[in-house]
Amino acid sequence: MSELRTSSIETRGKPGLKRYAMVIDLRRCIGCDACMTACKAEFDVPLGVFRTWVPYKVVGTYPNVRKHFMPRLCNHCDDPPCVRSCPVGATYKVEDGGFVLQHYDRCIGCKACMASCPYNARFMLPKSRTYTDITSVVDKCTFCHHRVTQGLAPACVQTCIGRARIFGDLNDPGSEVSRLVATLPTQVLRPEEGTKPHVFYIGLDRNNSEHGRAVYNPLDVQAEDRQAFNNNHQG
Amino acid sequence: MGDFNIFHHMPWSSTYSIYFFTIGISAALFFFSALSWFREEFRSLRNSAFYLSFVLLAVSGVLLIGDLSKPARFLNIMNPAYLNFTSPLTWGGLNLISFGLVSLAYFFMMRKNDEVMSRKLAVVGSLLALGLPVYTGFDLTVHQNRPVWNTPLMPILFVAMSLVSGAAVASFLGKGTEKLQAMLRGFMLWSAAAVGIMLISLLGTTAYGGTGQELTFMFMTSGTLGGIFIGVGILLGTAAPILLLLAPFGRQQSGMMLSALLLLIGGMALRYSILVGGQIVQTYF
Repeated sequence: MSELRTSSIETRGKPGLKRYAMVIDLRRCIGCDACMTACKAEFDVPLGVFRTWVPYKVVGTYPNVRKHFMPRLCNHCDDPPCVRSCPVGATYKVEDGGFVLQHYDRCIGCKACMASCPYNARFMLPKSRTYTDITSVVDKCTFCHHRVTQGLAPACVQTCIGRARIFGDLNDPGSEVSRLVATLPTQVLRPEEGTKPHVFYIGLDRNNSEHGRAVYNPLDVQAEDRQAFNNNHQG
Repeated sequence: MGDFNIFHHMPWSSTYSIYFFTIGISAALFFFSALSWFREEFRSLRNSAFYLSFVLLAVSGVLLIGDLSKPARFLNIMNPAYLNFTSPLTWGGLNLISFGLVSLAYFFMMRKNDEVMSRKLAVVGSLLALGLPVYTGFDLTVHQNRPVWNTPLMPILFVAMSLVSGAAVASFLGKGTEKLQAMLRGFMLWSAAAVGIMLISLLGTTAYGGTGQELTFMFMTSGTLGGIFIGVGILLGTAAPILLLLAPFGRQQSGMMLSALLLLIGGMALRYSILVGGQIVQTYF
């Protein structure tokens, strides 16, 4: 990793600082969506938006087909474009740990961070919520900062039945994530964007993680669903 | 079929394209008003162009603030403790506020007939006005993951589009004086030609980019945006008025009016397509 250039806000290799990362072993993911549910429960994530989600593609030729799951979340990039683009410093990177977090009280809702995120990890909270008074600001995965700082694993990691999600400190050479990243071939999403993500995938096929040509001709039913969603969830 | 993903929004709605349109015209009209202190033929535009520029600036401000999900927090952008200078929006916010203040001062100096101060403010205001389309271009350019937006052309393209639309509006305001009409015709013709050349370049680089760019090119040329981008923006709103302005009919008052109208329609269509075009493919990721 030393061949990569580091920017001023990167935490890679800084002594005494933690650098949390998640490894997602796609060979183990069964698509049970328990991670999505745990995350929803942990943060009262509203309907229609997600801090983590599990899209899939069916790959192969009948009868030899399988679902290729690809759990997604904020990549807590080492060089996050959302932090750069926020005009009021509402998005920031925690130096010890590398979490990319939000000052909800500062966010003006300009959506520049949403436009700059290559991973679609950010979303706008609705105007009213039942249990939480944080509304109409941009939200995203926090890597469960509140749990991790108390020595707990993130909610999605805790609940994953297949141990497909592994979380730990990359700056600690003895951690499981360090060992996995060092010994197994891992990929990150959209490495060409230069964001240096902290979510690593084992068994990721870039044919599935890239934009597919199918988006140009979506089925009518998908287009209708999409329109209905957009009508009900105006950013 | 067999694929599943959650739905994603386009973060920046079409309201932004209206903002790009009005702020671009406002900047160019201020420039034409300022030019009147240095070029006599623009004299008849001095007041009318400035007043309309100021009204459009106010409208743009309302559009921009109204599009925030927390409109009351727009003051945060003026809080020195919060400002993040790596964001073009910060520079844009400061530029907008400075331009508003200079415009106000310019208004009072014009009313006082203070020529020396008015000239100075005209120069400062013009530089700030130039900053408005430049920053809107940078707003888009800095997002490295967005096809079409992420090109160094964007700020220059927005300056050219601002001049085209501003000159088109000014041609309605300043009708009557022949010299002025000839100057405005030149502005419309050359800046529309610059826009055309930049669009060709933009389409070329987009078509030969990566998967995202290639798909965006498809959406913008033959997909959902094909009609508005190619049909209205390029053919009807850029190529047709250029041809009209080059023809003898384009030198007449009515020909210029028609070209100006087409350029305005095209300017809006181009801003809309560029804004939305850069976001379509990403919503499927």
